[in-house]
Amino acid sequence: MNRSSRQEALLGTFLVPAAVLAIALSIAPMVQLVRMSLSDVGPTNLLKSWEFVGTANLEAALSSKVFWDAARATIIFTVVLLGIDLVVGFIVARLLAGHESRLTGAVLALMVLVWALPPVVSGSIWKFLLAGDGAINAILGLVGVGPVGWLSSPDLALWAVSLVAAWASLPFAVLIIRGGLLAIPREILEAAELDGASSRSLSRHILLPLLRPTLAVLTILIILYAFRSFDFVYVMTQGGPGRITNTLPYLAYQTSFKTFSFGSGAAVAVLSLLVVALLAIPYVASLRREEQA
Amino acid sequence: MTHAGSRWRIPLVAVLGLLYAVPLVWMVITSFKSNAEVRSAPNDLLFAPTLDTFRDILAAGSESIWTSIQIAVSVTLLVLVIALPAAYAVGRRLGRRWAIVISIVLASFLVLQMVPQPMAVIPLFGILAGWKLTGSLAGLVLVDTAMLVPFAVLLLRPFALAVPRELYDAAEIDGASGLRVFRSIVIPLLRNGIATVAAIVFIIAWGEFIYATTLINDQAGLPVSGLLAQQNNLYSVSWNRLMALALLTSLPLVIIFLLAKRRLMEGLSVGAVK
Repeated sequence: MNRSSRQEALLGTFLVPAAVLAIALSIAPMVQLVRMSLSDVGPTNLLKSWEFVGTANLEAALSSKVFWDAARATIIFTVVLLGIDLVVGFIVARLLAGHESRLTGAVLALMVLVWALPPVVSGSIWKFLLAGDGAINAILGLVGVGPVGWLSSPDLALWAVSLVAAWASLPFAVLIIRGGLLAIPREILEAAELDGASSRSLSRHILLPLLRPTLAVLTILIILYAFRSFDFVYVMTQGGPGRITNTLPYLAYQTSFKTFSFGSGAAVAVLSLLVVALLAIPYVASLRREEQA
Repeated sequence: MTHAGSRWRIPLVAVLGLLYAVPLVWMVITSFKSNAEVRSAPNDLLFAPTLDTFRDILAAGSESIWTSIQIAVSVTLLVLVIALPAAYAVGRRLGRRWAIVISIVLASFLVLQMVPQPMAVIPLFGILAGWKLTGSLAGLVLVDTAMLVPFAVLLLRPFALAVPRELYDAAEIDGASGLRVFRSIVIPLLRNGIATVAAIVFIIAWGEFIYATTLINDQAGLPVSGLLAQQNNLYSVSWNRLMALALLTSLPLVIIFLLAKRRLMEGLSVGAVK
């Protein structure tokens, strides 16, 4: 064996524990999930043999109103997140980038702290703030409005939960966009300033085109985040009122662990994961390009 | 960008700061209110602060705090033990063949950590039940570790890449074995990376509740984060208890943030896919 294959073999052994763990508890479960979605699995036979039922679970999911309502809730949730994180994120990043002062530094640090908070914490805080007897309604009460059932009204609950998730993820968007802005060479900005470009035309003709790759990756990451923010729904509304805030991850989880219909729950999960997989391809490709550049 | 709305900048930044500060302040204030206070006037700013809520929680939930500590410490150690050698391996540049191995490993780690937890837990429940590990801390630690190792490897890799190749080569020419290179070069040089990753993994493991509430079925065995999640599911929540639990769940993050703000912020922005 020559020197380089010996080195490779040695480094290979360094990868073994991580690989074994990933195969046993990340890859095997995904295979299992797909098998589950194609089988009749309930509480009684979870640990026994599963009867293969083909695409019956998937078809049942695709033809049920509950599934499409959940898909709709997920889309609304995602669109709110995208709109706020990209638009407000850009505005805030411009406010904060390149104006380092004690105030901007403190606000940025605070926002990052909130972003890193466990979602179960931020969800709990907002559940209290938005409650019937909570602070938001108390403030509205001072001007004679309300109380508003932010989390209990079918018209508002989904928007309220989405806004809270947007609040929690905005710092991340700001961080990424700010990084993109700071990477723009100073000369370009100075040249634009000499030309007398207004703030708006600077944004439109120079900053946004230069930020396009950053914003593309950010869009993918926000959509992925939307698919995992089960936490806010779980904490704030438990899918309610009715099924208004029942998003796809929540539906998959509830079907599996409240009614123990693991086969049907797995079917919902597999259908949602197809979206995640579609987004994973351009994301991984873009990171590879970055790596090679 | 000096002229971009300069008159409005400071007031806007201040409003933004309030939007993020007030909810946190509210959590802290409420956790210092008494049961009666919260029930009669949940939004009063003038009240006699009391430690009653914390005393209640410490009395009733000391077991949960101990559980959280056990989980977060074991997950952090286990993740480091498994992820460090892997990060070293994917941070070395050898030949083209090794580059292919690395890109396969990295791509699969990237994809794996995109799988939403509430969906991953559906098959994991059955797998752990088959191993008789549901309801045990060991099972929970194992799935938390499996979730965080890919993340830790991706986060540590840039630190491993930053070590000059000559350093590895020189040590190897000196006849140092692979294990010794790892111990005497990688671990000391990656100290910053290790600290950052350990802090982030600890915070995530402390705040994790989906695996915890699903895999541990008795309430007494839940960590603090799981207790907080469960309290939210009750019909009548006492806000002071909820906020005190929320504060307890965010405590490691707040402490680490205060101690190592800059490093944590850098680490968090590198580990973009959270």
